[in-house]
Amino acid sequence: MAQETKVREEAKAAEYRAVGKPATRIEGVGKVTGKTVFADDMKLPGMLHAKVLGSPYAHARIRSIDTAAARSHPGVEAVITAAGLPPYKMNASNRRGLIFPIEEVLFFGQPVAAVLAADPHVAEAALGLIKVEYEALPPVVDPLEAMKDGSPLVRSAMHDVDRSEERGHVTVDVEQKEAEGKPSNIASQLSFKRGDVEAGFAEADCVIERTWRSAIVHQSYIEPHSTIADYDASGELSVWTSTQAPFYIRDELSQTLGIPENRIRVTATEVGGGFGGKIYLTELLVAALAMTVKRPVKYIMSRKEDMLAATPAPQAVVELKTGMKRDGTLTAIKARLVYDSGAFPGAPMLPGCILIGGYYKCPNLDIQGYEVLTNKVSVGALRAPGAHNATFAIESQMDMMTKELGLDPLEVRLRNAVETGDPLPSGQPYPSIGLKQCLEAIAGSAVWKRRAASRRRPNRRNGRAPARGVGLAVGGWMGGLQPASAIVCLNSDGTLNVTVGSADITGTNTSFQQITAEVLNVPLAMVAVTSGDTKTAPYAGMSAGSKTTYTVGRAVKEAAEDAKRQMLEIAALRLEAAPEDLEMAAGEIRLKGGVPDKSLTFRRLGRWTTNFGAPYPVIVGRGAITTSKMAPGFTAQAAEVEVDPDTGEITLLGFAVAQDAGFAINPLSVAGQMQGGASQGLGIALSEEMLYDSDGRLLNGNLLDYRLPTSRDLPPIEAIIVEVPSEEGPYGARIVGEPSIVGAAAAVANAVAAAVGARVTEIPMTPERVLRALGKINAAQGGAE
Amino acid sequence: VNGRPYELAVEPSWTLLETVREQAGLTGSKEGCGTGDCGACSMILREPFDPSRGRTQEGPKDERGRLVTACLMLAVQADGADVLTSEGLARDGELHPLQRAFIETGGVQCGFCTPGMIMAAKSLLDRNPHPAIEEIREGLAGNLCRCTGYTKIYEAVMAATRAG
Repeated sequence: MAQETKVREEAKAAEYRAVGKPATRIEGVGKVTGKTVFADDMKLPGMLHAKVLGSPYAHARIRSIDTAAARSHPGVEAVITAAGLPPYKMNASNRRGLIFPIEEVLFFGQPVAAVLAADPHVAEAALGLIKVEYEALPPVVDPLEAMKDGSPLVRSAMHDVDRSEERGHVTVDVEQKEAEGKPSNIASQLSFKRGDVEAGFAEADCVIERTWRSAIVHQSYIEPHSTIADYDASGELSVWTSTQAPFYIRDELSQTLGIPENRIRVTATEVGGGFGGKIYLTELLVAALAMTVKRPVKYIMSRKEDMLAATPAPQAVVELKTGMKRDGTLTAIKARLVYDSGAFPGAPMLPGCILIGGYYKCPNLDIQGYEVLTNKVSVGALRAPGAHNATFAIESQMDMMTKELGLDPLEVRLRNAVETGDPLPSGQPYPSIGLKQCLEAIAGSAVWKRRAASRRRPNRRNGRAPARGVGLAVGGWMGGLQPASAIVCLNSDGTLNVTVGSADITGTNTSFQQITAEVLNVPLAMVAVTSGDTKTAPYAGMSAGSKTTYTVGRAVKEAAEDAKRQMLEIAALRLEAAPEDLEMAAGEIRLKGGVPDKSLTFRRLGRWTTNFGAPYPVIVGRGAITTSKMAPGFTAQAAEVEVDPDTGEITLLGFAVAQDAGFAINPLSVAGQMQGGASQGLGIALSEEMLYDSDGRLLNGNLLDYRLPTSRDLPPIEAIIVEVPSEEGPYGARIVGEPSIVGAAAAVANAVAAAVGARVTEIPMTPERVLRALGKINAAQGGAE
Repeated sequence: VNGRPYELAVEPSWTLLETVREQAGLTGSKEGCGTGDCGACSMILREPFDPSRGRTQEGPKDERGRLVTACLMLAVQADGADVLTSEGLARDGELHPLQRAFIETGGVQCGFCTPGMIMAAKSLLDRNPHPAIEEIREGLAGNLCRCTGYTKIYEAVMAATRAG
């Protein structure tokens, strides 16, 4: 019952031996036997456990902190507050620049102090003995209220806002305008304009205007944030942490703590799920604690702390007006997107603004983005950050216009879909993209083929029986760009070692094994791939923005080609042939055409380049690249649902994703990314929502009340891999990880509308919201019919 | 644990998970939530048989054992029981069919839920060697996976059924 299919030319598949074929994870055995070491599985001699005290207020002034009782608790080694931290370059405008606040707490759960003890239970018990005196300040919780003139301010003024982390996820050349002038809660603004939207609405036959709401959602990696740090007597800082971004952490720690980058070793331990949420969060705190006590310190967030005080994904309110002609041509898009950033700037407003006007050719655009501060936890990236909020709006509205005009939703999308060379809302042209091809592919999915049958069912006859519907939506992501490098070395036994600096969060090291094996034409087993730490590995950008295979993969390919060239040069001398007359096969170098006795094994070459008195230098292939060309990934997704009109409950019957991967180096992991991303989008669509009360306190900080999709909720997800080659990626590969999360909410909403004729404008689509859309709940009272 | 007897002194408040991880040094079982919601700590537990009562503490003797969330169980409650974790599945260096199937179908991604998920799958197959897809979905519903969307995990369980 394999769920993936591939749209690929047969000739291309035959061309390659190692890439383009399913490969199992190189680290798989460790993971299924429980032997893989995650950060919480590590212990260092003399290690202390940290427990952290969070603020019980969403907004308050700290009057005083009394740690005496906690310090004298038996077994406690230290109690550390802002006053006890080592000197660091504090920047209270950025979440990354602030360990403990000195004066003002800005969100419920914000860390204010830590206890260190050899026994974590002792540290936990002592937290309750710290006495903090707060003066409560008015919290601002709702982003639209926060934008109003006269709203209380969320926080004191900001300076020197750092947006480097966001740029790792999406690298589009656009400047955000930082807040200036009169103090307000609007952190930054953005505007894209094209043509004349009013003229566009005037020529439209159908104009629809709605407001779309999405919730704060949590990445909910199963492994919470986990970090260990040690600061040794020589002044060297070592950090082992579950992160997607070891070099980024090194650079930030260096700047903040004043330690040179070559005295910091950051090791990305195995990441138990990241999804954009594990870039840089607890590392500065734990490093500072280790520097204070001069002992190794481990801090594992509890699930509750992770939900209160990590970096979830933002809620957004999108006001959208769109116009379409009778023939299905889109004429105008006018949008105002408000992203709730929480207490610090960093909301992914830019990608939302790009995507809302970026799926379709549209002559007239007016897109305004606002990043607004509130007294809630500050937000971060979650797989295509900011994209689903905007896509839910535009893709729902596309279906509404299509229906009003009596057109086919797939044909209308195909008619308007952007193609290579079309402009993004920011003006720059799209490189090679495959949105149309994805739409064509989704038409062949089993889910979409069931659409006709679902429309024939006597669904809405009495409005009582469960009704079925199939819906469609597109999604996409631009991706990040960052330089990358890699090293390929020949060992003395003829095997190969590949070293990269990227954290492997999606199976990228397995793809690097395939790439190296392809270039050198050896079995996969002859290639080992290691992600080194920041002192031993060549530089790579963060594993975010879906760019790891696209950028680091290209560096690996270059490094393998460099090693091959060096090996062929030596072989040419020994075999008395020109390098271009030689070929590699199965761990041997031989004359093309298969001349007997004219061959040289990798093993022999390995010895000749490593042993005592060896005649040739070591084979070290080097690959280093940069890229300025995006390789956006688009997707088309179809959902089939059943809706119970009495309870408002949605049951997902089927889901299909068609996605352009450029070239699927490892179709097994590409399909896995598509299915995994879709499942997260389905959680966003149906059940995931962080609920805050009017005082800014999180009400559901656990995995029982914050509802992730379970196996009972998710049918098998169909994955259709589309391959429209990118211009610069290895073998044409493009970004893969993120796009699949983007369209799910809109696809489900469109399926619900197809089933029961009601339009849900807020996600997640809880039974209550569905009943409200059906007019079965009085909107004002919120009670049952 | 995994067929090896352990004689351990534990605090009354220690969980089975903490004891297996910290005292026995078997860190394959994970803590994802500490409240029994995610299933990353799942182990299979066989209660000791009490010959005088003709039953175990939990009920009739059951060689298949039961799936427990070890983060919610006190270590003392497991006194005398046989505990199976992911580290105890492979025999003589041969992976268990479920372990092999999880690798081959791509049912493993980040690997944090995997040890618990495989124990849940084993518990399911011990009771129902040939489950239908709906039964697999029901049987694994107590174990959260955030990476795969479960599709390849269903495939892994199906494949193991065929291999076993």
